[in-house]
Amino acid sequence: MKKLALTLLVLASAAVAQAQSTLRIRGSDTLGAKLIPSLAESFKKTGGKVSFDIAAEGSSTAFTNLASGTAEIGMSSRKAKADERTLCRSKGVALNEIEIAWDMITIVVSSKNSVSDLSKKQVMQIFAGDITDWSEVGGTPGPISVYTRNTSSGTYKDFMTLAMKGREYGKSSQKMAGNEQIAAEVGSNPNGIGYVGYAYAGAKGTKIVTIDGKAPNPAAVKSYPLSRPTYLYTAGEPAGTTKDFIDFCRSAAGEAIISKAGFVALSAK
Amino acid sequence: MSSSTSTTPGSLGSKLLRKGRDSVLGMDPQKIIKNFFGANSGITIVVLVLIMVFLLREGAGFLGTYHQELEVYRKAGLEFCDIADTPLKEQQLLTSALRRAKTTTDAALKTALTDAEDAFDTAIEPAAEILLELKTHATETKELATEHHTLEAGRQQLLEAAAGTSDAKHKADLLKEAELSKVDAPDYAERIATMLERRGELSQALTDYTTALETAAATLPEAVSDVKKAVPAHVATIRKATENLQKWSWEEPVSYFTAVRSFLFGSAWITNSSWHDIYGVVPLLVGSLLISLVALLLATPISISAAIYTNQFATDREKEIIKPVIEFIQAIPSVVLGFIGIAVVGDLIKGISQWELLSWVPGFPIQERLNIFNAGFLLAFMAVPTMFSLAEDALNNVPRAYAEASDALGATKLQTVFRVIVPAALSGILSAILLGLGRVVGETMVVLLVAGNRIAIPDFGDGVGVIFQPAHTLTGIIAQELGEVSRGSSHWQALFMVGILLFLISLAVNGCARAIAKRFEHSKA
Repeated sequence: MKKLALTLLVLASAAVAQAQSTLRIRGSDTLGAKLIPSLAESFKKTGGKVSFDIAAEGSSTAFTNLASGTAEIGMSSRKAKADERTLCRSKGVALNEIEIAWDMITIVVSSKNSVSDLSKKQVMQIFAGDITDWSEVGGTPGPISVYTRNTSSGTYKDFMTLAMKGREYGKSSQKMAGNEQIAAEVGSNPNGIGYVGYAYAGAKGTKIVTIDGKAPNPAAVKSYPLSRPTYLYTAGEPAGTTKDFIDFCRSAAGEAIISKAGFVALSAK
Repeated sequence: MSSSTSTTPGSLGSKLLRKGRDSVLGMDPQKIIKNFFGANSGITIVVLVLIMVFLLREGAGFLGTYHQELEVYRKAGLEFCDIADTPLKEQQLLTSALRRAKTTTDAALKTALTDAEDAFDTAIEPAAEILLELKTHATETKELATEHHTLEAGRQQLLEAAAGTSDAKHKADLLKEAELSKVDAPDYAERIATMLERRGELSQALTDYTTALETAAATLPEAVSDVKKAVPAHVATIRKATENLQKWSWEEPVSYFTAVRSFLFGSAWITNSSWHDIYGVVPLLVGSLLISLVALLLATPISISAAIYTNQFATDREKEIIKPVIEFIQAIPSVVLGFIGIAVVGDLIKGISQWELLSWVPGFPIQERLNIFNAGFLLAFMAVPTMFSLAEDALNNVPRAYAEASDALGATKLQTVFRVIVPAALSGILSAILLGLGRVVGETMVVLLVAGNRIAIPDFGDGVGVIFQPAHTLTGIIAQELGEVSRGSSHWQALFMVGILLFLISLAVNGCARAIAKRFEHSKA
């Protein structure tokens, strides 16, 4: 919901002519809802004379905006796809990729649910719609409600690759606009299941499901099956304010914020 | 400016509005004013036409693009894999039923079921493995095709730019870049041949699976007789799939008719897929229609009764309260209503549905707080002011002579209202309802937040309970996906096609409303 307000704000501010010292950042909701705004705040506090204009509507928007020149930085929770690279290339934009933090996609269910561990195969079958009832995975009988991100999200695509062997989501999955909404729906529905970025895993009424006994743990990112790097993209080599901001994100101060926001800093891997 | 230099206040206005010899730029001020007003009403019409042209222009390419994608879908062998995939999908449903039955406490039955499930799974494995390899191969072919297509489009752009420039060096640069992005089209025949080599192997694997399955099904315990009964149908599916695999040919051209049909009558809308994007509009259309229907059923009685009461029975005092209050509803932003839908209405409906008293209601107890009914309820709330105002106007327009005549014949007030006035205003009331529907169909924010966004045709097996299922809508899908697509891609064009469809629906609804109002206009007595 915060994302929505943010978007509206941005839409309002987009009408105003862009000042030179504005960094326009577009893309992933996972990065743009909490992490990047808090990095931006700290960057401004440390004396960065710049105003930020952040809109987080899904990773795909990072590349469409970079290609059309409407953003200085794109946030993405996945690597750029071949056709996105080609799109940027055809517009004369050379994509430059910067790994910024690691995220762990976390499976959440209602805290009322008796299931607390799923195998990787079961996760795939639930989200692909093969398993439709909690009794099939040892829970209380009841139809499973699957909540996913919507198709513009990098997490949506990443989850397909990481957890579903590239299979399609089941027909009955419900596409939510952001991590917050998924957490809210799972929290209100005893038969719900969904996935969120690790930063959102502590939401009210939800609990984390371990995968093959492994809980997401910042100290052991590599061993958790649904870990993924997240990226910032720029058009060509970053320079000026853009470069300053990215350097700040990768500095010790930036990494402290990254860890606090529930992501894993690169040095901590 | 007028040529007059008079300074008396108001003289300019009076000069402009009366016939005189003053002229501005050689034109009569009377004419200027008339033309100014005429131009303003003209602008709205021009803008509307421009919107239509824009929609059509963006959507027009869809058929060609989608047709081409469907051709790649066939030529790259994705279709072949999907044919082989149907029995595997069905197998999943069967094992799912077995797993569900395993909640039993009977240990012997549990063991039997576990064995059966294992047997089912091992039986399908060889076929599944072959299919996975084929799928990987097909995806590679498709990627090659996509890359070729994108680069080719970029190359054409570069060549065009090169042709249009006069600067020799720049031209050379562009041509060189175009030369660099030259990629050969994938050799479909060769790539598909490697797939078809394995056709026999795949069919054999499916046949083996059938045998193993029938053996396993024979020993199934009685507790899962439904699975037992479903086996023959499943075997028939496998046979049919095997036949289709034999018949399938990659060279068969895809007709444009197929592209149109799969858009208008397709039952799946799958985008940003790693396999194959499908644009079928039916689930969205059904969602939109169901939500509108619920909204209409809720809003019509409330707004029409309120209009009749306000117009016919209310005291002046009451009118002063009712009218502004109902019209104030329009001032509530739809985003706010959406919040209310999530935070209040959803939980309220869900809470009520869990009462023992109401367990007889179809669809109760409900699982999803975001559903068709919730969205319909909020939209009904939004449609009430529109319907109320228009219906009230319609009642107002009934000539007073009707009511007076009715009174003179000795009818009671109620008789007058329900036998004379309402029937006379019926056409106006009907068009009020239709315009309310138009208001509801186009609403986006509320359905995006509250409808639950499940892109599937709701399961009508629940009867009326279907309204407690989540759904996605035509407006919702545009809002949710338009921000992410690259301009001019098939997805982009598909969303514009959805926009055109919405436009046509609104046009039809408004057209009906106008036609009804015209048809039954009573003579102003």
